[in-house]
Amino acid sequence: MNDWHASDHLMTRYADGSLPESDAWSLETHLERCGGCAVRVSRAVRATAAEAVLAEVREAVLAEAPAAAPAPAPERPAAARAHRWPSTGSRAVRVLWALGPAVRGAWLPAVLLVAVGAVALAHGGGFAHARPWLLALAPVVPVAGVALSYGPHADPMHEITAATPAAGLRLVLTRTAAVLAVSLPLLTLAGALLPSTGAPNAAAWLLPGLALTLASLALAGYVGLRAATAVTGGAWLCAVLGPVLTAPGGLTRELGLRLSSYLGGAPAQGGWAAAAVLSAALLAARRPAFHFLEKS
Amino acid sequence: MSPVSHLASRPSPGEPAAAVRTAGLRVRHRRTVALDSVDLDFGPGVHGLLGPNGAGKTSLIRVLATVAEPSGGRVEILGHDIRDHRRRGEVRRGLGYLPQDFGYYPGFTVREFVAYVAWLKEMPADGVPAAVERAVARVGLADRIDAKVRRLSGGMIRRVGIAQAVVNEPPVLLLDEPTAGLDPEQRVEFRELLRELGVSSTVIVSTHLVEDVAAACTEVTLVDAGRVAYRGTPPSLAALGESEGGPGDHPIERGYTAALRAHRASAPGGALR
Repeated sequence: MNDWHASDHLMTRYADGSLPESDAWSLETHLERCGGCAVRVSRAVRATAAEAVLAEVREAVLAEAPAAAPAPAPERPAAARAHRWPSTGSRAVRVLWALGPAVRGAWLPAVLLVAVGAVALAHGGGFAHARPWLLALAPVVPVAGVALSYGPHADPMHEITAATPAAGLRLVLTRTAAVLAVSLPLLTLAGALLPSTGAPNAAAWLLPGLALTLASLALAGYVGLRAATAVTGGAWLCAVLGPVLTAPGGLTRELGLRLSSYLGGAPAQGGWAAAAVLSAALLAARRPAFHFLEKS
Repeated sequence: MSPVSHLASRPSPGEPAAAVRTAGLRVRHRRTVALDSVDLDFGPGVHGLLGPNGAGKTSLIRVLATVAEPSGGRVEILGHDIRDHRRRGEVRRGLGYLPQDFGYYPGFTVREFVAYVAWLKEMPADGVPAAVERAVARVGLADRIDAKVRRLSGGMIRRVGIAQAVVNEPPVLLLDEPTAGLDPEQRVEFRELLRELGVSSTVIVSTHLVEDVAAACTEVTLVDAGRVAYRGTPPSLAALGESEGGPGDHPIERGYTAALRAHRASAPGGALR
C-alpha cells in the first residue's frame, strides 16, 4: 500500500530519543500500520539502554504474575451457573427483579393465605358468608402490597435503589403492577369459588381495589407511601367494618348491606372508576415528588 | 436564587470543570440543621470528607447521591441541577453510591446483587455480566462471586457495596465510610483502588480515618457542625498541624484538630453545638 519505510538512521535517532517530536509522531503513525518497520524499530530500541529497563520490567511483571492472576478457573463459574436458574443477564431474572420486595417477600404468602383460607373456610368449614368477608378485605390487599413494595421501611435495598435512575414513580408503578397482577386474579378467583349468598359479584372489588391503590400512590406524593397506604386502607376498613361492628343486627347481614351499597350496581362501580381516573391524574401531576419519596 | 458567581470564578483555566458543585446548600432534618450554607466543588480526584460524628458528612453524601432532598441552595452534578427532575435520570446514571448502611434481598448472591444494581442503573443488558465480573474482581471478591451475600463477613459485604457502586464506572463516586469493617490489608488494597478510580472519576469519600485521607486523597474537606471548616490537600492539612501544634498522633490528625479549633473559634456560635 505504502512504499515509504523508515530509514535506519531515522530509527536509530527515534530509539535514542534524539528525533524531534513531530517526526517521532509521524513515525509512530507509520508504525501502527507497518509491521515490518515496527519490528525494526523494536530491534533498534533494544539496542539502546532501554533493553535493560524492559528486561527488568518484564522480569518484575512475570514475578508478580502467578500471584496476581490465579486464572479464574473457567470451568467452575460456568458449571456453577449451569445448574442455577438463568444467568443474571436473562429476561426471566429481570422480570423477577422488577417484582419488588412485597411480591418476593412475606406479602405473597399472606395473599395466598387469604385466598386459600377463604375457600377452605367456605368449603371445608361450612362458613356460608366467606364471600362478603373476602370482598370486604380484598381491596386492602393490593394497598398493603404497595406499602411493602417501595421506600426505606419496605425495601432493604432502598438506600442504594434511591440513587439509581430506576428510582421514582416508574419503579413504584412497576412494583405496583406486580402486586396487582398477583392479587387481582387470585382474590377474584377465590371469590368466585365461594358460595354467593346474596353478596355482590366476586369481581365487584376490582375497581375499588384499583382505585384505593391509585389513591394511595397519589396521596404518597404528599405524605409518603407508608402514611398514604395507612390512610386509604384504614379508611376502607372503617367504612366497611365500622358500621358493621356497631350495628345492632346480625354482623354478616349488615356487612352484606354495606358491601351492596359500596360495590353493587352501576352507580357505585362508576364512582370507583371515576375515583381511579382522578387518582391516576393526580399521580401523574405529583410525579416529581416520587424522586424523594422518603417522608417517614 | 442564590448567587453562584463565586463558584463560576473558582476553577483556574487549566483545571477541569467540577463534576459536583454545591452553593448555599442547606439540609434540615426536622428541627436540626444538618448542613448550612455549604459551598463546595469537586473535580476529578479523590476527595476526603473528614469531620466529627454528626458533622453532616452523611447528610452531604446523601444529598449528592440524590437520595435526600436539600432544603435550600443549589446542587449541580455533572453540569445539571439535581432539582431538574427531567435530568435526574441522566445524573443518576453517572453516579455510584455506597451508603453507610445498606441491605440486600436474602437470596442474592454477590453476582446477583451487583447485577441487580446494574439493572437499576439502566446499564445496557448485554454489557452487564462482564461489568459485574469486573466490578467484583476490582474489590477482590472474584472467588466469592457466586456466594450468597448473607454468608459473607461484614467487611466482604462492605466490598460488595463498593462493587455495586463502581459497576457502571461512574464519573461521580460517593462512598460513605467505605473502609469501615475492612481489615488493615484490605484497607491498603482499597486505597489503591481509590487512587485508581480517582484518576478519571470524581470520588468523594467520607471517613473518620485520617490514614485513609493521608494515603489516598488528593484533597481534604473538613466539615464541622454542618459547615465547611477547612479545605486543602493532605500535605497542607499536615502542615497546618505542624505549625499550629494541635493534639494528635499523626500529622494529619494534628492538622485536623488544629483546623477544627480554628474553625470553632472563628465561627460565631459554631462551638456551641
